[in-house]
This record gives sequence, C-alpha cells and structure tokens, in this order.
Amino acid sequence: MTTDDVVLAPRRRPGTPLTWVRGGGLSALVFALPLLVIFGVFSWLPIVRAVVMSFQKTNLITTSWVGLQNFQNVFADPLLPVATRNTLWFALLALVFGYPIPLVAAVLMREVRRAKGLYSALAYLPVVVPPVVAVLLWKFFYDPRPEGVFNTILGWVGVPPQPWLQSMTMAMPSLVLEATWAAAGGTVVIYLAALTAVPPELYDAAEVDGAGVWRKVWHVLVPQLRGVLFITLILQVIGTAQVFLEPYLFTGGGPANATVTILLLIYRYAFGNSLGGNYGEATALSLLLAVFLAVMSLVYFRLTRRWSTS
Amino acid sequence: MTTTSPIPPTTPRPVLGTVPGEVPVIPGAEPVGAARARRARKASSSDTTDDRSAVSVSDWRRPSVRWSLGTSHWLLLVLLVVWCVGPLLLLAKFAVTPTQDILRTPMAIFPNGIAWSNLSEAWNDVQVSKYFANTIVLAAGAWFSQILVATTGGYLLSVLRPRYARVLQGAVLATLFVPAVVLLVPLYLTVLDTPVFHTSLVNSFWGVWLPAGASAFNVVLVQRFFDNLPREVFEAARVDGAGPYRLFWSIVLPMSKPILGVVSIFAVIASWKDFLWPLLVLRNPDLQPLSVRLPSIEATTDKGVLMAALAISTLIPIVLFLVFQRMFLRGAGLGGAVKG
Amino acid sequence: MRSSRTTALAMAGVLSLGLLAACSTDDEPSGGESADGTVTITVAGLQPGAETEAVDALNERVAEFEAANPDINVEPEEYNWLASTFSAQLAGGTLPNVFEIPLTDAKTLIENGQLADISEQFDSLSFADDFNENLLESGTGSDGKVYAIPAKSIYGVALHYNRNLFEQAGLDPDQPPTTWEEVREYAKTIHDATGVAGYATMALDNAGGWQLAAAANSRGGVIQEQDGDAYTATLDDPAVKEHLEWLHALRFEDNSILPRTDLGWGEINEAFAGGQLAMYTSGSDVYNALVENNGMTEDWGYGLTAIPTSNGGGALTGGTLAAVTQESTDAQKDAAVKWIDFWYLSKMLDQDQAVADAKLRNENDQAVGTPVLPIFSEEQYATSLEWVKDYINVPLENMKGYTDVMFTQPSIGEISASTQDTYALLFPVVQAVLTDENADIDALLETANAQGQALLDQ
Repeated sequence: MTTDDVVLAPRRRPGTPLTWVRGGGLSALVFALPLLVIFGVFSWLPIVRAVVMSFQKTNLITTSWVGLQNFQNVFADPLLPVATRNTLWFALLALVFGYPIPLVAAVLMREVRRAKGLYSALAYLPVVVPPVVAVLLWKFFYDPRPEGVFNTILGWVGVPPQPWLQSMTMAMPSLVLEATWAAAGGTVVIYLAALTAVPPELYDAAEVDGAGVWRKVWHVLVPQLRGVLFITLILQVIGTAQVFLEPYLFTGGGPANATVTILLLIYRYAFGNSLGGNYGEATALSLLLAVFLAVMSLVYFRLTRRWSTS
Repeated sequence: MTTTSPIPPTTPRPVLGTVPGEVPVIPGAEPVGAARARRARKASSSDTTDDRSAVSVSDWRRPSVRWSLGTSHWLLLVLLVVWCVGPLLLLAKFAVTPTQDILRTPMAIFPNGIAWSNLSEAWNDVQVSKYFANTIVLAAGAWFSQILVATTGGYLLSVLRPRYARVLQGAVLATLFVPAVVLLVPLYLTVLDTPVFHTSLVNSFWGVWLPAGASAFNVVLVQRFFDNLPREVFEAARVDGAGPYRLFWSIVLPMSKPILGVVSIFAVIASWKDFLWPLLVLRNPDLQPLSVRLPSIEATTDKGVLMAALAISTLIPIVLFLVFQRMFLRGAGLGGAVKG
Repeated sequence: MRSSRTTALAMAGVLSLGLLAACSTDDEPSGGESADGTVTITVAGLQPGAETEAVDALNERVAEFEAANPDINVEPEEYNWLASTFSAQLAGGTLPNVFEIPLTDAKTLIENGQLADISEQFDSLSFADDFNENLLESGTGSDGKVYAIPAKSIYGVALHYNRNLFEQAGLDPDQPPTTWEEVREYAKTIHDATGVAGYATMALDNAGGWQLAAAANSRGGVIQEQDGDAYTATLDDPAVKEHLEWLHALRFEDNSILPRTDLGWGEINEAFAGGQLAMYTSGSDVYNALVENNGMTEDWGYGLTAIPTSNGGGALTGGTLAAVTQESTDAQKDAAVKWIDFWYLSKMLDQDQAVADAKLRNENDQAVGTPVLPIFSEEQYATSLEWVKDYINVPLENMKGYTDVMFTQPSIGEISASTQDTYALLFPVVQAVLTDENADIDALLETANAQGQALLDQ
C-alpha cells in the first residue's frame, strides 16, 4: 500500500531509483508506454522524417542531401498552380453548395413539430454510406451517355445530356455535388445541435419586444450561431484542402488536369511513377500544405477557445 | 429530446456538447464536466422550455406562419427523401437489375425482370463477405489501439502527472497541428521499415491499427474528461488502498463510459471511411477492407454485380445507423470539433 | 490488487507485443523455405475481378507444376500492373516473387538494383539461346547479366470491334475499316444507326498516352527520337497532332466517340464488353482479358483487325517481361525461373506443355489461340499453334483482318527513355481534346513537348 500513496500528486523530491519506484515513477512509466511508443513511432518520428526528407533525394536505397532542390522543383512544376487553383475551387464550391443549404434545412428542421427524428435521420443517411461506395455509385450516375442516370432524369424535363465528369468545366462541380451529398447531413446535425442550445430567454426577450418569426430568426438565431458557423467554415476549408478520395476515384485528376488537387499531386509524386517514388518532392509539398493548414487550425483553436469562454 | 419526454438531469446526456461553447474539447476549452453541469442545471430549471425554438406556440397559431412553415416542412421532407434517400433507392434497384438494363435504361422499372443473381455473385464471386469481415477487423483493432492509448495516456497526463507530463502533453498537442497529409509519405516509409524491429508492417493489419492509435485528439478528449472527474473519489479510493492500476481499472474507467463511447464512435467511423492509408498499406487483396477493394474491381466487374456489391457494403452501416441512430447523431453533433 | 496490476501491465504491454507479433508473422514470407526443404514462391496471377473459370484454370496449372516440382510451393497472387500503384508495391516489398513489368521499364529497374540477378538460372534453360535477341537485351543489365526474361507474348496494337454493331448499322463486319478516315466514317454510321458510340479511346492515366503514341506511330510519326545516347522529345510530331484533330472531329463534329476520358485499359475493356462502344485500339491479345475478366464468349461477335496505317506507319508493339524480386533467396530464384519457364514459355516450346495448357484453358472456357507476335521465331509460333489446333476456341475467322498482316505490318517499339513519364504528359492532352471544343492542340503539344524534353535532359 505504501507504494500507492502518491497517486495524485507525485513527490517532487529527488532520490534513488528505489524512491522513484516507490513514488509511483514506474507505474507512471507503464501508463506512458503506449502513448510513447505509438506517438513516438507513428507520429513524432514521421514528422521529423518529413522535415528531413524534404531536403533529401531518396529512392530508399541511396539517399543524398539536395538542399532546397525539392522545394524548387515543386514550385517549378506547372501542375502546382493548377492543383492549387483546383483545390481552392473545390473549397469554394463546397462552401457554396454545402454551407447555406444545411443551415436553412437545420433552421427549418428545428421548427418541425412531429417526427423530428425522421428529418434528421433522413438528412444523415448519406453520411453513413461508405465514401467509396458513394463515389462509385455517383460515378455511375454521372454516365455521360444520354442513357446515363442523371441524363435520363434531365431528359424528362427536356434538358440535353450533360458530360458531367467528362468536361473540364463540369467535372469539379460534379465532384463537389457528390461530396456535398455525402457530407451535408453531418453539417445539418451540427447546426441542429447548435440551434437547440440557443438560450430560450433570448426568444422571450425578443417576443417581449414584439419581434415576429423572421426577426427572431435573423436577430436572435443567426447571431447565436455565429460561432458554430465560423467553426464549420474553417473545418470545411481544412477538410477540402486535403481532398483526395473524390478526384482520385472519380476522375484520376482529369479531364486534362481539371481536378488535380494538391493531395493528388502529392500522391502522384510519391506513388505515381512506376519506376520509383519521388519522396523528397512529395514531402516538400506536404510541408507547404501543412504550413497553410497549421495556420488555419491555429485560427480555429483560437476561435474555439474564445467562444468557449465567452 | 422532445417536449413530450423531457430528459431528467440524471439521464446520460451527450458528454460534450452541442452548445457552441461546448464543441471544443481542445486545450483551453471550457471543462467538459462544468459544461455538463451547467446544462443539467439549465435543463432542470426550465423543463418546460427545453425545446423552445424561434417559432413560439403563439407564432404557430398565426395562419400565415402555420401555412408557410407547414408547406416548407413538407417540401423539406420531399427534398430530403429525393435527395438523401433517392440515390440509395436507385442503388438498391440496380443491385437486382440485369446489367444490360442498368446500362441501357437505368431508370426503367425492371423491363426485363429482376436479377437476384447479382447479389449472390457479389457475395460469392466478388467475396464481399470477406472484405466486409476485413473492414470490421480493421475497425475493431483501430478502436482498441485508440482506446488503449487515449485512456492510459489521458490517465497519465491527468491523474498521475509525473514530472515529464507537461513536456509529453506539449508533444502530443503539437501533433494536432500537423495534418495527416504531411505524415503520408514518411509514415509509409516508417511502416515499411519500423524502427528497432526493422520489419515491414505492410500487408499486415498492424500497419493500420498501430498508426491509428496516434490520435492526439483522443488523448486530449479523454484527458480533459479525466480532469473533471471528482478528485475526492480518487482520494477515497487511495485511502481504501487502491494503487494506480486499480484506480485506473476500477474507478476511472468505469466513470468514463460516456467519453469512451464518444471516442469509440469516432474511431469506428474514421476507420470505416479510411481509404488512402489502407490502400497503401494493405496491398494483399485478402486483407483489404471494402473501401480499398471495391475500386480495384470496378473496371473488371459486371455493372450489375458491382452495384450489388456496393449495395451490400452499404446495407450494414445503414442498419447500424438505424439501430443506433441516437448515438450516431449525438456523435455527429460533436463532429464539429473533430473533422479536421 | 496484485492481479489488477498484472492486468494493467499486460494491457500496457500489448503494444510492444503487437510489434513483436507483427515482426514474427512478417518474417515468414521473405524466407520461404520450410524445414522440410520445400520452397514457397508467390507469383503474379490474374487481374483483380477475374472470372471464376480463369481462376480454376490457373489453379489447375499450379497444381500440375507442383506435382512436377514437389519441393516447390506456388502461391498465385492477384496482379495488375498499373503505373500508379507499381512503385508503392515495389517500395513496400509487396510484389510477388515473380512479377511482370513492361519491356520499357526494365532498364531503369535494373539500374536501380530493384530486380534480382537471374543469369545463372536463365542460362540453365534449354532454349536460352533461342530468344529474339533485341527482346532479351531489354531485360539485360549493363553488366551483361539477365534480370528479366521475355514472357507472355509481344502484342501489337490493333483495332477491336463489335461485329453485331457493324451489322446493325448495315456495315459488313468482314470488311473492317483500313484507314483512319474509314474508321471515322464507320463510327459515324454506327452511332447514327444504333445510338451507340462508334469509337472510344483510352484517356485515363498513362494508358491514354500509350494509345496516343500508338495512333501517332500508325500515322507514321514518333514521339521520341534517339541518336546514340541523346534523346529528343517529339511530342509535337505532326502525326500526333493529326490524330488529336481526328479525335476532336469525332467528338465535336460527328459526336460518334464515347465522350469519356476516364477509361483506362481495364475500363475500356469493360465498356466494350458491355456493348457501349463499337471500336477501340488496344493490344492484339486483349481478347484474352475480355474472356478472363469480362466474361466474353466466342459467339459474342468480337472482331479484330489491324490498326490503320499511313505514311509508312506501323503497329506499336510492346512486351512483357517476367522478373524476380530482389529479396528472393537463391532457392526462390531457382523456383521462380522454373515457374517462368513453365507458366509463360513452355507452352510456346514444348508440345506436351502446350497441349496440356491449351486443353485446360479450353475446358475452363479460357481463350486459346489469340493471335500474338512470337517471342521466339515465327516458325516456332506456327508450330505451337499447330500443336493446339484442336483446342483453339477464339473466333479466328473474325480476326483475319489482323492475322493476315500481323507479320508483314511494320512494327514500332515503344520509346525507351522516360516512357511512362512521357505517356503521363500526353494523356491530359487527349483529355483536353476530348472535352474542350476550343482546345489549342498546338499549344498543348508544345507545352507537353517542352516538359518531355526536360525529363530527357535530367
């Protein structure tokens, strides 16, 4: 029992290995082990390696230092601006498609009196579909022939067949449409949760002031949602900056590089050449993206901290 | 939660929140337990207004509000059915439609009969059953490794607090700011040739399970939960002669079921959705989960059979969702803080 | 209390144990030799998604091989060479002991030290001297050692067509088109009459570049010139432009081409077998894959003819080499070369083996007799066909357009420097031409060519 009386506040006294063990040092180490091993091998080490590798050229057999060469090569790659533009375009479209509609839906759903659960269950259903299944299914929907699923439906209302993924201009919006289908339910549920938490006193106060439904929504609800709206915005930017599945499975980056995203480019650098990966350039580009994302997440954490204490 | 069944404060509720202020479970965020307490207070003090929303009862009495809201609700329901369920119904239809009909007249209703054989071919020839089992095994292992690291790590950082805890915590937190992308290549090379052991984890479930454990988010989540457990209980246990292991196993873990539930849901969902990492690590088709296998057979599989395979792979998550709907939606409410 | 401590300790230790377990299980395949002296090798098998009959046929051949070599245990693995996944497999050490690579990649892989030296085993083959020398050279390193052995066949790119669609459009399936202009006319006729796309081309990933190169070759152009050790990229060759303009016309003037840019080698086979297109170009041996993966049958209405040629052009030819992984032990290398001999080569050289293989494939409804260019001599090829003539089940009468000229048509090898990277530069151009009505072909080719030259200058 004597070994155990330091559970809560480890003694700060210096001592022999024996006092260290008696002071709970050993048991602490046992609990530290999984974290140390797993983070050490699969997180800290790879992070350090990423930084080191971005200054190296390696084919896994021989490795040499190349200074900033990898970064220079990345910046010289004509695909980098294309991929950056595409990624930003994806992010923007994802915001346009996936940001306001779930909000409207959530505000409406909040007011539903009967079968509330049905609404949120319906909205959330696509989210539980495995993403790969969703992409493969939609890929078939996007069949560009007049007999394609979407083109058949368009035909009913007299719209001519669309090329969908087979057009440089339509490919990206098509990707985003599917991504929105797959993700919007999650956003709706987040908004719903936030709406539930609006303090009822605020409505009462507004009603005392004689506010109608619209004014309550606009002046009470929306301001209360400001925090969560901003958070979902940043999360969406962070998420879309790493988009991979859709372009990889839908189009492989085509047509004519119209859907090459940054992560797809990194993947191609590292794994796309049959004669061996260009790991240095891949990590160099990853680091550049990481810096951008780290800034975004810093903003995110600052804001969540601010909102949580307000 | 509905107005008809207000949840008493004692009912286990979502641990973290659904309030904007509670979403973050990040360093510096408001302690989870406090938020919970506040919420519980709120719920008990205003049971009748628990479900108060922008449109009040008196608003509902006004015909214009009633009519426009009622219409938009119906419209919303129709849209939700068409937009969210429509594609899945189509998938179900294609799963039993002969390939030629799928390709020529996808929207016609079974012009040439139903091809139940698609399903059996998908199950037997495409071996969806096997890949499904792999998916489950992967999720279970990833879940275990995340729970293990998060609980032991959280316990260490929150309760045991050895001298190096601060450094460790900083090192864990720092990884929150490193997006998964950066790790892709170096982590792959690490898994190819693990330090010390110098073996390759490629083509082994361990290659997916172990890296999954390195989730700083989970550690922080659990740690903050532990931070808010009442210290008096620990003290009492200590007086009763409980050591650090017993305290962990018999006191802390049982008290942490809510947070373990949250971490579990995140772990399983993330594993279910993962594509790129298992694609790189699990090259052997016998080990691949559905997410990796389906795209690789897409080009060589008959459309009808492929659709059947897709439908089968979707069915089980959907059934799980319908059964555990509440848990899923609750988890998603928290999702705001995790996606990144 | 003691017991709970033990549990906790055990729990915390699980991870390190996990690593150990992973370690011990993963050691096993690399050695491959068990105590009783048998050696296990993994070998490249079928494509993912192969029909069960194809799997059965392969398994029976494996059983025959193991019966003849009781000390060797062969485990076939699914194998699909894709530029986009091969390097991860190579780096990951997950390739089977015996795997296949395109002819053009061998030299670089040899230089990188990524293939095993199998000279000794190769020399022991009785027919080691009979190989076509150029072919053998591509698998030989600068040290004169053999690292990869010509396997399978050599394919020439040819035109595949759907005879039923020809008939439905009022075209004579026995008179397939012989010029690109005729292909265009036929495609339009078929599309106008049946609504089905008359033509399609691969445009996904490197396969798209490969097929553009094939078309350029058939029109008398090349995409790379070699002068000693100096290579010049000629992606802006007039023949390349000519074909792109032709594709553009099919897409935007005739609307007769399948408007898809997401078809790779496997996808276009699937679309063809699904009746979504009437004509496309691919290797002459694609019929094997159509049967193996897409369930095509002899009476499906498959037709094969030569790729149209003009301006002294010819058919792009390519080949497959079988190689052995670097990590293989000597015993595995011995076994691997025996397997290469048995699986790829003996059916071309040994009457008994040829008959056994053909009989088995025939019984399992796999293609026997698909026309290919021989690895050895033309006479040997004719002889081997004679051996198995009773088992031939491919519709040879529907392949005359190709078989009549396959030996007389000029053949053009794939470019030898930066092959895959060059293809990777070309496929976006194909995609642009098929999707953008106002695509500036000259500008696209100029950019691609500059990048291609930069690759060669590195």
